[in-house]
Amino acid sequence: MTDRPAIEIDRLDVTFAAKGRAVRAVQGVSLAVARRESFGLVGESGSGKSTILRAICGLAPVSGGAIRLGGDPLPARRGKDFSTRVQMVFQDPYASLHPRHTIDRTLSEPLAIHGIGDTDARVVRALQDVGLPAAFRFRYPHQLSGGQRQRVAIARALMLNPQILLLDEPTSALDASVQAEVLNLLTRLREERGLTFLMVSHDLAVIDHMCDRILVMQHGRAVEEIAHADLAAGRMQTDYARSLFAASADRMLS
Amino acid sequence: MSLLTVENLRVTFDTETGPVQAVRGVSFSLGRERLGIVGESGSGKTMTGRSVLRLIRPPGRIEADRMEFDGQDLMRIPETGMRALRGRRIAMVMQDPKFSLNPVMRVGEQLTEGLRRRDRLGRAEAVRKALAALEAVQIRDPERVMQAYPHELSGGMGQRVMIAMMLIPEPDLLIADEPTSALDVTVQAEVLQILDTLVRDRGMGLIFVSHDLRLVARFCDRVLVMYRGRIVEELPARELMAARHPYTRGLLNCLPRIGGARGPLPVLDRSGDWADD
Repeated sequence: MTDRPAIEIDRLDVTFAAKGRAVRAVQGVSLAVARRESFGLVGESGSGKSTILRAICGLAPVSGGAIRLGGDPLPARRGKDFSTRVQMVFQDPYASLHPRHTIDRTLSEPLAIHGIGDTDARVVRALQDVGLPAAFRFRYPHQLSGGQRQRVAIARALMLNPQILLLDEPTSALDASVQAEVLNLLTRLREERGLTFLMVSHDLAVIDHMCDRILVMQHGRAVEEIAHADLAAGRMQTDYARSLFAASADRMLS
Repeated sequence: MSLLTVENLRVTFDTETGPVQAVRGVSFSLGRERLGIVGESGSGKTMTGRSVLRLIRPPGRIEADRMEFDGQDLMRIPETGMRALRGRRIAMVMQDPKFSLNPVMRVGEQLTEGLRRRDRLGRAEAVRKALAALEAVQIRDPERVMQAYPHELSGGMGQRVMIAMMLIPEPDLLIADEPTSALDVTVQAEVLQILDTLVRDRGMGLIFVSHDLRLVARFCDRVLVMYRGRIVEELPARELMAARHPYTRGLLNCLPRIGGARGPLPVLDRSGDWADD
């Protein structure tokens, strides 16, 4: 079991029905993420990269292929076992936290659902882990800045001690200065907890900084898988990956 | 001659705990060029852009020693005069298509509404112009997009719809507030190309509000760097990456780079003199 990849996706198809027309958002994409690895998905909007994360969570209509976690196929209803293993952090911290729940309630809800006690201490520790003062427990999301909210979203995702974090553009709504803080936080948490990341971003520099391997996607299909060293050196096989790389020329180390 | 002149612009919000100044004495002028305004959230860059259209609602208020657009005093003209300017002469592309498009109206109706009401075009002519505008912003399947509701579009598509909508009346000045932050790099390049063509061929003025320093450095002619309601540095865009001001430098250093070290990224140090009031 230990050498099975944390996430295995095998010829995944996702098809949405839109006005009698089938939109094939993901077509035959396969990938495998090893334990403790950080894997990046890049591509233009509509390329299906976020849809893959949603499919793993059971939030997208999978029409073919298989998803396995640690070698086990996923049940059709994801259930409690799934949420203790996999959690997701969304792009927009303004939309992903309940506006009328205090931070305390947002963070203690997963504990209540899973019947885990010791709520007070766990909530305070979770806030500390993401670098927020304990007094933030009693605030509402609108009383926090974007970066602070994204820290809360990360703390919420980690409440059940999952092994896998799905990160959907976790810093693209944030300023450069705050992005650096949140990326540093994610890197530290991954090291401390041995987390596996599957991360979506349109910023190649962020992906390069965070990921060991990346998959380039276009129009719902996998275009090319690139190792971290090859990305930095500009070694790509396909024209599309090269054009994506060329468009990010100003993000290169010069 | 400059298209827009702003002198000592101040935006104040009267709150229960006293007045809060979001913009504190900003002055600049704009010709038929691309002016970038960069800064973190809360720096006042969006408020500066909105002030030009007088789109600040009470309890916020706008004061300026001078704010002139094409010879007209924007501080003096009545609301009806402002309404004639908005959209037709000065247009604005907002940050988030999710909140800026009407969620219960098809994209086609939103695009043709102005053409039919303002320009009194017939349905067929309005639809033709709207389709052309969508094609101009590189939308692959304009007929489908016309029939779609905003929630059926991706962020990038929604943003392009908004840009198409703003460009239909051919404004003289476009204020674009983070117009490409929801877009990925390849689409971003296409949208910038569209804006660039408009500035060059039609002589449109462009105020480009963004938190993306690299983008602004590449795309604009001149850049204002804002921090807490003030302009801390003004410089030619091509020199932005070599900026001297510690705040601008700090922002640049926070950015990860392809091929850069994997260690922790430097974070912004706010302890310098520039950070004080």
